[in-house]
Amino acid sequence: MVDGFNETGRRCVRVRLAAALAAICCSGSAGAVDYQIHGYAAQGFVLSSHNDFFGDSTDGSFDYYEAGINAAVRIQPNLSFAIQAAVRDAGISDDGSVRLDYAVADYRVLSETNVQAGLRFGKVKNALGFYNETRDVVFTRPSILLPSVYSDNQNQRTLIFTSPGAQAYGATVLGQHELSFTGTFNAERDVRKNDERLLVELTVPFDLRVGDSWNLQVMDSIDGGRWQFAYSHFGGQFRMSTEIDLSGRFDVDLNVFSARFNAERVTLTAEYVLIDNDNRLTYLGAPFLRQRVAADSGYLQVEYRLGSNWAVMSRLDSFYRDRHDRSGHAFAAANPGIDRRTQFSHDFTVGIHWRPDQHWGFWAEHHWINGTAILQALENPPPLRHQRWSMLMLMAGYKF
Amino acid sequence: MNFSVHTPMLQRLRCLLAALLLTLAPGAVPQNSDLEVEVIVSPSLAEVTLDRSLLRAVFTMRVREWPDGTPIRVFVLPDDNPLSDQFYREQLGMYSYVLRRAWDRMVFTGTGFAPTVVRSEAEMIERVRSTPGAIGFVRKRAASSQNRPAPPRWKIVTITADGHG
Repeated sequence: MVDGFNETGRRCVRVRLAAALAAICCSGSAGAVDYQIHGYAAQGFVLSSHNDFFGDSTDGSFDYYEAGINAAVRIQPNLSFAIQAAVRDAGISDDGSVRLDYAVADYRVLSETNVQAGLRFGKVKNALGFYNETRDVVFTRPSILLPSVYSDNQNQRTLIFTSPGAQAYGATVLGQHELSFTGTFNAERDVRKNDERLLVELTVPFDLRVGDSWNLQVMDSIDGGRWQFAYSHFGGQFRMSTEIDLSGRFDVDLNVFSARFNAERVTLTAEYVLIDNDNRLTYLGAPFLRQRVAADSGYLQVEYRLGSNWAVMSRLDSFYRDRHDRSGHAFAAANPGIDRRTQFSHDFTVGIHWRPDQHWGFWAEHHWINGTAILQALENPPPLRHQRWSMLMLMAGYKF
Repeated sequence: MNFSVHTPMLQRLRCLLAALLLTLAPGAVPQNSDLEVEVIVSPSLAEVTLDRSLLRAVFTMRVREWPDGTPIRVFVLPDDNPLSDQFYREQLGMYSYVLRRAWDRMVFTGTGFAPTVVRSEAEMIERVRSTPGAIGFVRKRAASSQNRPAPPRWKIVTITADGHG
């Protein structure tokens, strides 16, 4: 991914409460035409040492919440429509504005016991790894913060995670294996201003667009989901234009490998992402800069269910901005004044999760982190404050 | 790898986790081997033969209509009801949290419907009886209380041999 920041100075962080939490109180179900209405809301709190994450968290930040409401209508067994509006705030990386999360028409072409296939059109969710499609619903996450495979602190929602396009899907059962496939073609789209400033460092005004992109996921779910293996790919091209004769083209390829084992009490999950960036800048029509970087990230996670209401989790998570320079020494040598420890982060997490009923959930987790690659520079202007830091996160959520 | 954590904190956390496990683990997951579950479907449905693969396809919401074209409407008890656990494990060969994950994914991506959660077996019977194309599950009558409603017009489905595998 293109990475960097512009110097807009420190943002004044406001403490906000998720007022949406109180507003959601209705639910619906089947009628003559089947419909469903669901929603979720969650408020987070972050307290960190040394570095800021999701707001001014060294002093305690409530600048982290998420809420959404959706409706789905089934006109016929093979035709349905669904829409979701969502808000999310996460320090500098998300701004709390209302967005259309998805709006999708789903036409089921084939619906047999052992084979299903269909098409979706509209603004669709992209399948990437195990958690991307529902990444903003804490009830579907293994922890408050997703592992760095999912770049939770770099708001890329308008880039990769959901986009207008057409999607084909299918599933088939072969013995103990349930094989499923999702392929998406995404149309060209603009990147929100709020995301642009987190992605490209440039002193002149610029505009960033995502060209046509595509995304696919294949998954094998074995023995009723006891074992799950998936491969996901995203390929896209970003185009940057400026008022001067400087333009950029950034090719991004993401390959995600996922494996999960689900036992009665224990779930073991491992995922690895390889991110290839090919960045080209052109000035006055001539090549100006060419940069190829491969970043990668992976984690190993264990969840343990103590009963139907309680669960604990632990995770080892690593992220490297350049997999050929994991220590960051080469980067620091080439960029005097920038600390090598901005090039990686290792996060050891333990967490606990309580679900008193089907609607409420409460989470607490602690992160011990070495390295600052997952921080937002706009929240933590150089110089580097501390390489080793830690973070307590709390979240309370409601869904229906 | 360059990983390191604060050792004293880790030790404290280990103690904390051990304490939690000791407090919460005994009997935390209910084992109800004496419970027997049976599948019920709407009386309006034509004869259906359910084996485990169809039952799984229905309860994971992958199929949306019965062979006669009636839309499938799935009713379930709350996830923490022991009967749910028993049914998912024995008849579907799945854990309830794996099913819930699949349902949540559909609900929050606009790609499918979640089953309707009913509060009690009495409500389950009533909803399945009154909803065309409905399917649900209840405790087998022999193992349940005498006070259950008299045999209504809901159908008990016999699962084919594959279903007990």
